[in-house]
Amino acid sequence: MLYINNLTKKYGAFTAVRQLSLHIPEGDLFGFVGPNGAGKTTTIRMVCGLLRATSGSIKIGNIKGAVGSKEMKRMIGYVPDFFGVYDNLKVREYMDMYGSMYGMYARETAKLADDLLELVNLSDKKEVYVDTLSRGMKQRLCVARALLHNPKLLLLDEPSSGLDPRARVEMKELLKNLHSMGKTILISSHILSELSEMCTSIGIMNHGQLITAGRIEEIMYQLSGGKRIHIQISSEMETAVRILKEHAGVVLESVMENEVIITNSGTDEEISALIGALLQNKVILTGFYKEEGNLESLFMQLTGGGEPS
Amino acid sequence: MRVQLNPIVKKDLQVTARSMRFSWGLFAYEAVVALAFLLGLSSIQSSVDGYYGDGNIYQELINLFPVLAIAQVCIVSLIVPVMTASSISGEKERQTFDIMMTTCMSPLSIVFGKVSSAVLRVLFYVMGSLPVMALSFVVGGLSWSVLFYFVLAVIVLSVFAGSIGILCSSLCRRSISAVILTFVMYFVLNILTFCPLFVYLFGSWEEESMGECLLPLLFNPNVFFEEFFMQVMTGESILGSTGESNFIKTEVGYLTYCFTYGKVWVFLSAGCILLLAFLFMLIAAWRIDPLSAAAERKPAKKKSK
Repeated sequence: MLYINNLTKKYGAFTAVRQLSLHIPEGDLFGFVGPNGAGKTTTIRMVCGLLRATSGSIKIGNIKGAVGSKEMKRMIGYVPDFFGVYDNLKVREYMDMYGSMYGMYARETAKLADDLLELVNLSDKKEVYVDTLSRGMKQRLCVARALLHNPKLLLLDEPSSGLDPRARVEMKELLKNLHSMGKTILISSHILSELSEMCTSIGIMNHGQLITAGRIEEIMYQLSGGKRIHIQISSEMETAVRILKEHAGVVLESVMENEVIITNSGTDEEISALIGALLQNKVILTGFYKEEGNLESLFMQLTGGGEPS
Repeated sequence: MRVQLNPIVKKDLQVTARSMRFSWGLFAYEAVVALAFLLGLSSIQSSVDGYYGDGNIYQELINLFPVLAIAQVCIVSLIVPVMTASSISGEKERQTFDIMMTTCMSPLSIVFGKVSSAVLRVLFYVMGSLPVMALSFVVGGLSWSVLFYFVLAVIVLSVFAGSIGILCSSLCRRSISAVILTFVMYFVLNILTFCPLFVYLFGSWEEESMGECLLPLLFNPNVFFEEFFMQVMTGESILGSTGESNFIKTEVGYLTYCFTYGKVWVFLSAGCILLLAFLFMLIAAWRIDPLSAAAERKPAKKKSK
C-alpha cells in the first residue's frame, strides 16, 4: 500500500530523515516508534504532502500522481498529534465542511458522517459545538473526519498523546476496529505497550534513520537470536542439563535450583522433540514457557536507551 | 455541471453569522455611517442656512452620497485587510491549517475562499447601510444604478485590500504582524503609484509632456475611487477635464491620452486593481503551498503541544 523509497529530508546541514525505505502492505497496522527528533513526524508529514522531501519517492497503492496531488490526497486520512477546531461550528457542520473540501455532496457527506460518528461513538454529539468537546472526543472526531472520504491509508501522528487512560483505551479499540475493517494504518505513538498490543508491524527510527522494520515477532526473534525458553524442573536437574547441552541448537543461558533458561534457534517441532527427550529421561517438568519479548526492551536495545516519544 | 460553494466561504459565513462579534461589528458599522450621515446633514443644513445659501436643502442633499460613501470606503479599507490578514495566520495559530492542506482543496482555492468570505462579510455591512445611503438618493436626485455601481466599486476595493491582507497573512506567522504588514504594504503601494508623478512634478516639470507617468495610478485604489466619484457626481475626471478626453495630446503620452478618455480610466483601473489582487492571491497561494519552494525556505519550527 505505502512504498517509501530512499526518502530524505534535510534542513540545511541537519538531516531529519535519512534514506528511509519502507513498505507497508495493505491492511497492515504499522507502528512507528522512535525517540524525540527521530524523524517520525517528518516522515508522516512528507507522506501527507505537508512537507517537501529533499529526495526520495513516496507511492501509495497504484496511484501515479505525485505527493500532494488530489489523487494522493484522496488516498490519505491524516490525524495530527495536536489540532485545533473552529469556534461556533457544530460536529455535523465540521464533518460537512471537510466533506465538501474533498468535493463530496452535502447529502453524501451527511450519510457517511452519521455512520462515522456512530463508529467513533459520537453520534449523540452531532449538534454539539466542536470546541466544547473533550480532548478524547475531539481526537475521535478527527479520526472520523479523516475517514470521511474513505481513504485507503490512515496516518495517525501520536493520536493518544494528551489523552486520559479511558480515552486512550477508546482510541485503541477504535483503531483495532478500523484495522479489522481492512484499513491500512500507520501510527506513531510513544506508548509502546499500546503499540505492541495493536500493531502487526513496527518500524523503529532513530536519528532520522529507520533501524528496523517488520513484524514484531520477527524483529524480536532476529534480535534475540532465537527463542528464550524457561524450563522449570522439580527433579533430575543434572540429567536435564546434560540432555540440553547435547541437543543441537540449544544454548544454556542459566541454571538455577529449579529452573533452566535456554535459547533455542530451532523450529517449534525441534522444541517439541527436546521436551520429549527430557520426559523420556524421567525429568519431571513442572513448567515451561517461551519468553515473550516486549517492545520497550526491544526499543531500548535498538536505540541505545533513547527516550521513546 | 457540478457547482459547489467554496467550503471555506460556507464555513466562515456560518461561523461569523453565529458570533456576537459580527452583530456588534454590524452595529458599530451602521452607527459610524449614521453618524457620518448626521454630520453631513448638519453641515449641509448650516451651509444652506448660511450667508451664501439659498435655503433649499434638497439640492444639496446629493452631497450626502460622497460623504457616506467615503465613510464606508474608509471603514471597508480598514476592516477587510484585518479580516484577511488574520485568516491564514489565524488558521496556523489555531492549528487547523495542516488538516486543511491535506484535503483536496488547492492552495489557490483556499486563498480565494478566504478573500471571498471577507468580501462577503463586508458586503453584509454595506448592504446593511443601504437604507441610510438611500436617503441621499431619494431626495438627492441620483439614480439607483449609481448605488449599484457603488457596491461594485466597494467589491473591487475589498478584493484588492483583501488580497494584500491574505498575502501578508501568508508571509507572517502571527496575525498581529500580518495586520501591521498589510497596512504598511497598503500605504507603500499607494505611495509607489505616485512616484513617477512626483518625479515629474519635482524633477522634470519643465518638460512639455508628462509622458506615461500617470499610468501607475491605474493601480491605485484611492485614485480609482476618487475617479469613480467624480464621474458619478460630475461626469468629469480628477485627471483633468477637457471634454471627452481629459488631456491634450501633447500634454501626456499616447497611452495616458487614450486611457483617460471619458470613463475608460475607471473601468481600466478596476481591471488593473483586480489583476494586481489576483497576482497577490497567486503569490499567497504559492507561499502557503507546503510543497512549493517558498515553503522549503521557511525554517522548521517545533510544534507546541
